[in-house]
Amino acid sequence: MNENQPSSTVKTMLSNLDLRGLKKYTVILILFVLMALFSLVSPYFLTWRNLSNIITQNTYFIIVAIGLSFVMIGGGIDLSVGYQMSLVGVVTAMLMMVYDFPAWLAVLAGLILGTTLGLINGLIVTSIKIFPLIATLATATVYQGISYMISKANTFRGYPEEFLILSRGKLLGIPLDVILAFVIAILVSIVFTETVFGFRLLALGGNEEASRLAGIDTRKMKIAIYTICGFFTAIATMVMISKANTTNSSFGPGTEFIALTAAIVGGISFMGGEGRIQSLIAGVLLLAVLGNGMQLAGWGTYSQYIVRGVILLGAVAFDEYQRNAKRIARIGK
Amino acid sequence: MNSEYVVEMKGICKRFGGISALKDVNLGLRRSEIMGIVGDNGAGKSTLMKVLSGAYQADEGEILIDGQQVHIRNPHEAFQLGISMIYQDLALFNNYDVAKNIFVGRELVRGPRGIFLNKKSMYQKAEDLIRELRVDIKSPRMSVASMSGGQRQMVACARAIAFQSKILIMDEPTAALGVTEASKLLALIKNLKEMGLSILLITQRIPDILAIADRVFVLKGGQRQAILEVSQVSLDDVVTMIVKGKDRNGEQHNGVEYKSFG
Repeated sequence: MNENQPSSTVKTMLSNLDLRGLKKYTVILILFVLMALFSLVSPYFLTWRNLSNIITQNTYFIIVAIGLSFVMIGGGIDLSVGYQMSLVGVVTAMLMMVYDFPAWLAVLAGLILGTTLGLINGLIVTSIKIFPLIATLATATVYQGISYMISKANTFRGYPEEFLILSRGKLLGIPLDVILAFVIAILVSIVFTETVFGFRLLALGGNEEASRLAGIDTRKMKIAIYTICGFFTAIATMVMISKANTTNSSFGPGTEFIALTAAIVGGISFMGGEGRIQSLIAGVLLLAVLGNGMQLAGWGTYSQYIVRGVILLGAVAFDEYQRNAKRIARIGK
Repeated sequence: MNSEYVVEMKGICKRFGGISALKDVNLGLRRSEIMGIVGDNGAGKSTLMKVLSGAYQADEGEILIDGQQVHIRNPHEAFQLGISMIYQDLALFNNYDVAKNIFVGRELVRGPRGIFLNKKSMYQKAEDLIRELRVDIKSPRMSVASMSGGQRQMVACARAIAFQSKILIMDEPTAALGVTEASKLLALIKNLKEMGLSILLITQRIPDILAIADRVFVLKGGQRQAILEVSQVSLDDVVTMIVKGKDRNGEQHNGVEYKSFG
């Protein structure tokens, strides 16, 4: 085809546009559009109280999504995070409430347990070499089973003050869990953009075989990212059960779907190799604003499920479209 | 360092199950030489080069680099010995730009224990490389995802030489390129030779070999058929050797067997 033909020019323009820039800000833009819309629908939406509630109610989703982003950027998936939360939650609660452990020790044990559950996922994914989706679906069921066996389906409530401070304490008027989520987000953002580990993580998700040929120990990297995911999931669990001041084995499951949706909406590619923390947080907040706004508008809980599902489909479709656009641009050359 | 050869492969055998992919193959690559590796499909070209690049390990035989025997167990060890292989599928990262592709696995670092990337140095060095190689890439910040096949080959070459590789193995580099891009790449390969690299070039395109190589190594059925001086052979000679195999007398030189026309 003649390079001067209009279709060729359009193709070149499209490939130069690179859609990544568009994707980088789309989610933030949509977030603001949604907020504007809901402020028209409900006078209560755009109030300081409501907006701060949206943030404080979603800190643990942000932390889980950040943990999950390590795995997803590396080209994997972890469907067990919600069930890890179930198990870590009841163990931490029982250590405090049943076995009278001091809060700090129970939290430490919970963090070690969560990290170990992530490590187990990593070892299974890399050793048995089955799809991470299937592997973590299996471990999710196992973790859930163990959680119920340990808790005997009991509910544990009324935690000690030193544990509740995690969600009720404030520093300079800002809730501690918000500060915690903010600090984690900044640190992880630095890891992704400035460190050798983050650089290799994105490379792993971009092309695993090429990473191996470049001398990167891909097995170790994969084990590391599932382990890190387990660690952040455990931190999120602490925030979740502290916030609720109660837990049982049903606390946690379902979180993986919201975190996964938020991650994909936030531009973390389902195929790996792409992702930014700022957009990820915007993704979590977008889902939260949607839920909150729909509630205030009186649209009820059930319609939220439908909207979330449609959003997930749309985000995955956009991700796939972007990949195809790049492929076509290359073939066109 | 006194060896005439930068690489010597002696008595290399490689089997996959019951199938012998390589049988007692000997190869000697001189310094600053371009050697074409040719043969029909399944002749063992890629297998031989993967043994040298550490992707496969030979069942028998030895490899010498600068006259010293070495054991190459993986691509990383090969790289540390100065051997880089550019694969047919290029092994690039579509989610990264040119500079990042060049430095994956061998990042320039800063800070305590080298945990932070030295991005400034990476982009600067990538820009210098692009200029030095005189390749058709406008900026080290260009994404490789939308690059043409020729540009991607050039990124792969830049990646190989960024870390002073002295032996470069290229697997069918011009296979997917048009005439213009292929000729640009061949010019780049000659340029790399002038920079002191020794190059092993796997290809099915015999004219490419005749255009830029010093010698051509012919494999058939996993066995070496000949090493021919390009200046002394024609296209027909090479094709005949690929199709019919060896039919000439051999000679010994520095322990590495040679055959030549002429």
